[in-house]
Amino acid sequence: MEAKPSNSPKSFIDQSVAPGDVVLDLSSMANQTIKLGGGLRQDCDSISVMKSGKLRFVKPNKYWVESSQKRYVPCVGDNVLGIVVDSKADNFLVDIKGPALAFLPVLAFEGGTRRNIPKFEMGTLLYVRVVKANTGMNPELSCTDATGKAAEYGPLKDSYMFESSTGLARLLLSSPTCPVLEALGKKLSFEIAIGLNGRVWVHADSPSSVILVSNAIMNSESLSEVQQKIMVDKLLQRVQ
Amino acid sequence: MREKEELVMVTPGEVLGKASELKAGRGAYVATHNNTVYASLTGRRSLNPPPSDSPDKVPPPSDSPDKRPTVEVTGHKAHGAVPVPGSIVIARVAKVMARMASADIMCVGSKSVREKFSGIIRHQDIRATEIDKVDMHSSFRPGDIVRASILSLGDARAYYLSTAKNELGVVSAESTAGATMVPISWTEMQCPLTGQIEQRKVAKV
Repeated sequence: MEAKPSNSPKSFIDQSVAPGDVVLDLSSMANQTIKLGGGLRQDCDSISVMKSGKLRFVKPNKYWVESSQKRYVPCVGDNVLGIVVDSKADNFLVDIKGPALAFLPVLAFEGGTRRNIPKFEMGTLLYVRVVKANTGMNPELSCTDATGKAAEYGPLKDSYMFESSTGLARLLLSSPTCPVLEALGKKLSFEIAIGLNGRVWVHADSPSSVILVSNAIMNSESLSEVQQKIMVDKLLQRVQ
Repeated sequence: MREKEELVMVTPGEVLGKASELKAGRGAYVATHNNTVYASLTGRRSLNPPPSDSPDKVPPPSDSPDKRPTVEVTGHKAHGAVPVPGSIVIARVAKVMARMASADIMCVGSKSVREKFSGIIRHQDIRATEIDKVDMHSSFRPGDIVRASILSLGDARAYYLSTAKNELGVVSAESTAGATMVPISWTEMQCPLTGQIEQRKVAKV
């Protein structure tokens, strides 16, 4: 899948890049406005890479580096799975696998007032949305969507949660549906919550289904579409 | 105006006199349980009698019933400047949190301090207008140099600072690209290298 506009003889788009690679030379592209996403940096006329990963391009003018790590960098609007670490007077301290603990205000729930503050024990798993994520400050979370409704946010009870990389979480959330989830969904029924910080929660009726789904997902990051389907079929054959 | 300057060295806790005879000035304090004036610094004691007996000097106002001289102790070591409520200070922002920013006070007036003083700028003291809509992240960032005024001695941990005037606020800041930014309005500063505009509460110079 080579890029349509090749801006230099050796185009880096959709290739793996490492920090320090100069991927674009602005002096050869006149009169264009380019939008740089994460992982890219402008040094006068050259655009160089800051993070290792794959360089991506979307028409008309967006460039960014996609990479997969275990560490999560909080970003506004992300849906993540957090674990309650502590509760203070005004907010809960939630660990979202980022550089700092995040604050979840005690009133950030649908119909939340000072009288019906939820009581979360330490270790409760929550599906939350990141509201504020500034560098140097603790991120702020919310259990409501932008309009104030609960909309699936809140505590996730029972069942199993495992941690994976951020790249796998993005793959599972991509549309059209990821091949692993499609293949699993044809034979098993399960419920799944995926956090962009790399945490995945799986819920099913029997423990063997939960284990099967988790193992299938954990194995699928580096496999191609066809390989994922084959892997899922093999796992399902063992069970049935 | 001093009339007598005695070269008497005193140490903290030394009795300077009775509260009925002396008023405690800087470096001295009155212990209420036995109405005695003690020294609180090591240094020279000096007495400043009210110039009621010298007609060519201006008498102190509103002190008419109080004819006691004031005793002061000046430290023997020159100590650095100490923040005093009302003074203008230069501080570096250390941490920005949801409802306040903590800063290290570096200069008081035009003198630099010799020891560490912490200050806190609460979100309601950042500016004078629309204080409930203040966004901390678009007022200060860690590392900014701000000019602030001391509101009060605050609590045990830090002084309370305020930037709620036009001439108070961020004086110097670094952009994410590492260059010193140029102020373009009272809310924005621009990086000269990349042209990016960042929001701060800028002091009007």
